[in-house]
Amino acid sequence: MAKFNNDQVSAAIWLGAGAMISLASLRYDLGNLASPGTGFMPFLAGLAIVLFSFIGLMQGTMSRKQGVGWKPPMRGLRWEKSLLVLAALFAYILLLTSLGFFLCTALFIGFLLRTVKPQGWLVVIFGSIVTAFGAYGIFEMWLQAQLPKGPWGF
Amino acid sequence: MDFFQSMVMGFQVALQPNNLLFCFIGVLIGTLVGVLPGLGPVAAISLLLPTTFHVTPVSAIIMLAGIYYGAMYGGSTTSILVNIPGEAASVVTCLDGYQMARQGRAGPALGIAAFASFIAGSIGVLGLMLIAPPLAELGLKFGPPEYFSLMILGLTILTFLASGPMWKALLMAAFGLFLGCIGLDTLMGAPRFTWDIVELSDGVGLVPVVMGLFGISEVLLNVEQSMERSIFATKIQNLLPNLKDWGDSIFAMLRGTVIGFFLGVLPGGGAVISSFVSYAVEKKVSKNPEKFGTGMIAGVAGPEAANNAATGGAFIPLLTLGIPANAVMAILLGAMMIHGMQPGPMLVKDHPDLFWGAVTSMYLGNVMLLVLNLPLIGLWVKILRVPYPILFPLILLFCLIGCYSLNNSIIEVLIMVIFGLIGYLFKKFEYEGAPLVLALVLGPMMETALRRSLLLSAGDPLIFLTRPISAVLMGIALFLLAYPLIRRFRK
Repeated sequence: MAKFNNDQVSAAIWLGAGAMISLASLRYDLGNLASPGTGFMPFLAGLAIVLFSFIGLMQGTMSRKQGVGWKPPMRGLRWEKSLLVLAALFAYILLLTSLGFFLCTALFIGFLLRTVKPQGWLVVIFGSIVTAFGAYGIFEMWLQAQLPKGPWGF
Repeated sequence: MDFFQSMVMGFQVALQPNNLLFCFIGVLIGTLVGVLPGLGPVAAISLLLPTTFHVTPVSAIIMLAGIYYGAMYGGSTTSILVNIPGEAASVVTCLDGYQMARQGRAGPALGIAAFASFIAGSIGVLGLMLIAPPLAELGLKFGPPEYFSLMILGLTILTFLASGPMWKALLMAAFGLFLGCIGLDTLMGAPRFTWDIVELSDGVGLVPVVMGLFGISEVLLNVEQSMERSIFATKIQNLLPNLKDWGDSIFAMLRGTVIGFFLGVLPGGGAVISSFVSYAVEKKVSKNPEKFGTGMIAGVAGPEAANNAATGGAFIPLLTLGIPANAVMAILLGAMMIHGMQPGPMLVKDHPDLFWGAVTSMYLGNVMLLVLNLPLIGLWVKILRVPYPILFPLILLFCLIGCYSLNNSIIEVLIMVIFGLIGYLFKKFEYEGAPLVLALVLGPMMETALRRSLLLSAGDPLIFLTRPISAVLMGIALFLLAYPLIRRFRK
């Protein structure tokens, strides 16, 4: 990675993404200028991504030559905390319909309170139950948001 | 209907008890999200959008607009007391506001910020009332080529003014245009990039994208940093500025108002940029520019006036042409469409109650903010003391419920979390989310305008340069795009 700087790496990824979008747009009818088809706009958007990322790649290469190197985006940061939050979010999505809103929310809040910046068990248990109750009361009972119900009916 | 009749009708709508209540709720929530760092008006409006589905469109827009300009008020509190901007438009207020607090002048700093916000916000609303109707008349002359050129100009201005290299902002706009293409083709009805996912046939929802990019990603970034926050320990007194403070800041307020209003009108401009421009202007016109950053009251009054005036200005292109000037306006556009309203030149004529009701409610909202904010500063300070480790799970939960309750769809929640991760990576690699959001909203409109223009001209792309209004708009856009090259060539 040290051979390239951040702009070069990100622009190269965008270049690939733009090319893929343009190619995928060809599956739809491009039409012609007098009668543009379904694939016309996404094809143009893909081409624009390719063009701008190519400019970015060139600028990144020039700045690399001037000594701008790779800056690790995670240096000095506790990135494992954001990983924990992401894991909790994905778990919430997976379990919401099967466990129901109340239990899933209580577990979600409890997990975050206990792991990201660990709080005492009293705060964790009290906080998670009160939050789940409060959110259920506001959204399900007051705003009638129709949140998923688990096997226990809440 | 003349101007005064329209205003009277607007006040009749805005003064209805339910609309007053929604205005109050909006400005209160707006101030709260402005006060709380890490939760801006974009995320807050997205979060609360589903709660407006059961109320009338007028009440919904009054509340959502209140959140926007309320956040501009609240943002200054954290800038002055904690040196952390509550939202991006208050970044520059930290420079002199926090220094004033350190010198024991937190009260006058908070007071002048509130008065500047009130004065500029009210003048901004007056400007909106005067300019919007004639502009809507002009908008009736716009055909597809003019609309396309105007949207190109809006995106170009946003990318031109974005921080960081222009290619990154343009790239984000292009990606937003692609995201806007996902779903059913607006002209032919054919599905594109839906991968047989039913939720994607209506396109990638604005709310999941915005909540992900601005809400979830912000939390992901915040939790990996130190979560300690220290509030400057000072007694907040003398909130009413004295005569010298007024003398030092009144012209800064007026200049900030003018700058903010006109930059707010420009698609792609807005509160953040206008506050920075106002600060730069104040520094330039000051007899003591070297003292800026050490606690100059003009450095608080100017930017705070500018960011509030910009909110009034930003409504003009949305309400008259249907073009959102920034990410918040893009969400409001989505909200109006959900409520069956089509912002554009016909809005003033077809729904005068909504237009004039919403606009006059902003006057009332500004008065409420002034009355609310000064006595409630103590409460905001207490809220600021809520530790982030307790606050962030609540922000995430609001995002999850808000996104789910849009359509009761777990797929949309998944989209939100994915965009949260994407937004996190964007920030790590210094890409801005705002051009993406604006392009996502404008994308379907731009595509329709482009394809209709080409159909009109039998495939001749010169149609954008042969019609006068379109040619002027396109010319400005091309100049802005070429400007970095021209500057480099000159050097």
